[in-house]
Amino acid sequence: MHTHLKKLFFLLLVFLPFLGFAHGVTSSDQELLRNGGLWAYIQVGATHMLTGYDHLLFLAGVVFFLNSFKDILKFITVFTIGHCITLIGATYMGITANEHLVDAVIALSVLYKGFENLGGFKKLKVSSPNLLLMILLFGLIHGFGLATRLQSFDMGEGQFLAKILCFNLGVELGQVLALIPIVFVISLSRKHRQFTAFYKAVNWYLVLAGIGLFVYQIHSYFQGH
Amino acid sequence: MRRQHFFLLLALVVLCSHDLYIKMESYFLEPNQQATLQLYNGTFEKSENTITRDRMLDASITAHGKKVAIDPAQWEDQDSTITKVTFQARKAGTYLAGVSTKARNIELTAKKFNDYLKHDGVLDILQQREKDNLLDQDAVESYEKHVKAIYQVGDVKTTDWNTALGYPIEFVPQANPYEKYSGESITVQLLLDGKPLPNQLVYADYIKNNDTHSHGDHSHEHKHDNKKHTHSHDSEHQHSHKSNSGEAHTHTNGQQLRSNDQGLVTVNLPEEGVYYLRTIYMVNVADHNELTHRSKWATLTFEVSHKHGSDTHTHDHDGDEFPMWIFVLGSLVIIGILFFVFRKKN
Repeated sequence: MHTHLKKLFFLLLVFLPFLGFAHGVTSSDQELLRNGGLWAYIQVGATHMLTGYDHLLFLAGVVFFLNSFKDILKFITVFTIGHCITLIGATYMGITANEHLVDAVIALSVLYKGFENLGGFKKLKVSSPNLLLMILLFGLIHGFGLATRLQSFDMGEGQFLAKILCFNLGVELGQVLALIPIVFVISLSRKHRQFTAFYKAVNWYLVLAGIGLFVYQIHSYFQGH
Repeated sequence: MRRQHFFLLLALVVLCSHDLYIKMESYFLEPNQQATLQLYNGTFEKSENTITRDRMLDASITAHGKKVAIDPAQWEDQDSTITKVTFQARKAGTYLAGVSTKARNIELTAKKFNDYLKHDGVLDILQQREKDNLLDQDAVESYEKHVKAIYQVGDVKTTDWNTALGYPIEFVPQANPYEKYSGESITVQLLLDGKPLPNQLVYADYIKNNDTHSHGDHSHEHKHDNKKHTHSHDSEHQHSHKSNSGEAHTHTNGQQLRSNDQGLVTVNLPEEGVYYLRTIYMVNVADHNELTHRSKWATLTFEVSHKHGSDTHTHDHDGDEFPMWIFVLGSLVIIGILFFVFRKKN
């Protein structure tokens, strides 16, 4: 096996238990928020981002499409602005929606990114929407998902805005932590001669995962409500 | 025929005391939903008496680490039998409601006292009376009731269910009842003055969801007629029970358990439904001019649903979604398969 491929699989295996460890529990999160002050909001925000595989898959899709570090920074910044607006705004104003429905839309964003990366629009002979605008739109949707999640916790009384901002800060920290291995793995894979196969495999996986998560969320919506 | 009627009448005269329960239409609420706590003073199925406010030493709701007293003015009598309080559920979490009443005295003839001990499952005292040849002695008993209910608002589970309210006697679950599902069991600790109470009889029963009444396969009919009743553990009103079969109703249906050295009992939760635990701790009183016995009563109520029902459903990136490691492992396998497919194609 090629050295790069070996490194790639090694990295994936290294991060596998990390993701498993970061997997949180709702009740313990609530307890942490109740007793841990503002620091707890940062921690729960970061944990939520690190364990939210729909957010991570979407980020992976975004990074896969981009070649330069400058582009990555630009697109991630737009995504961040988008989710900050809805996370802070919706939580502060108490706007919420059914979590399954919001997550179903987030799943569609994963599907969309895989489809776009595979040149789906070109194949359909349709001009693809402005990528930066779409990233902003999906950022807003992901942010609304995070806001809905945050509002499902009892945030207690006092320091309401500070708590939202700390949760947001945690989300950003989690995003940076998640992006480091994603960018690293994707950059490493680009040097491999089988990158095309890997690119197709991952983006087809995003399409499948997007469909799977969408079906799962809709099913949960109808079963649970 | 006359003989049958005679025995039926005899059965009707069988006496029972009044357990106190905190009862809700559903123990699963949505945040900000309006709900009612009802005090059932009788059996779990039928209340016989209201509870006057001056009797309440404590009436409170504990949630998110705070115990908030229920304003006495909020209580109202629904009718002559049920006292209730209407409130709005707040944020998501597991809530604990508690009511503690003052002690009262009751005088009972020997026969009535023996009947009550039998039908309410205070068997240790009954045996003691038999052993000591005291079955013919009348009794003056001081009794007090301390009851709790645990209900779930929204999906988020919090830890207030394990709060000891400091009542003279109380049940404290060892796990969140709303993280327990039908087919499982729950361990509950019985505390007397804050300390584990060992070797105490505890009765646990449940009402199936959507049933108006269920104790397994048989049903009960309650009859109330002041002429036929002679005592109750709550003053003005009196009650008795008979079943369709004419057998005397008792308060000891369901699981009969005995607490271990740590005061623990394990209650099976075979089906979805509203579960209630009850116990009466009684001691003989030797050094008192008036009293012969002193009792402390406790109940605990909560609801159990099935594991994947809408009531227990939680949604987030952890909770009931499939575990992260399965997702990651599955993803790697799929990507690996796709990779080899596309490599071969290339």
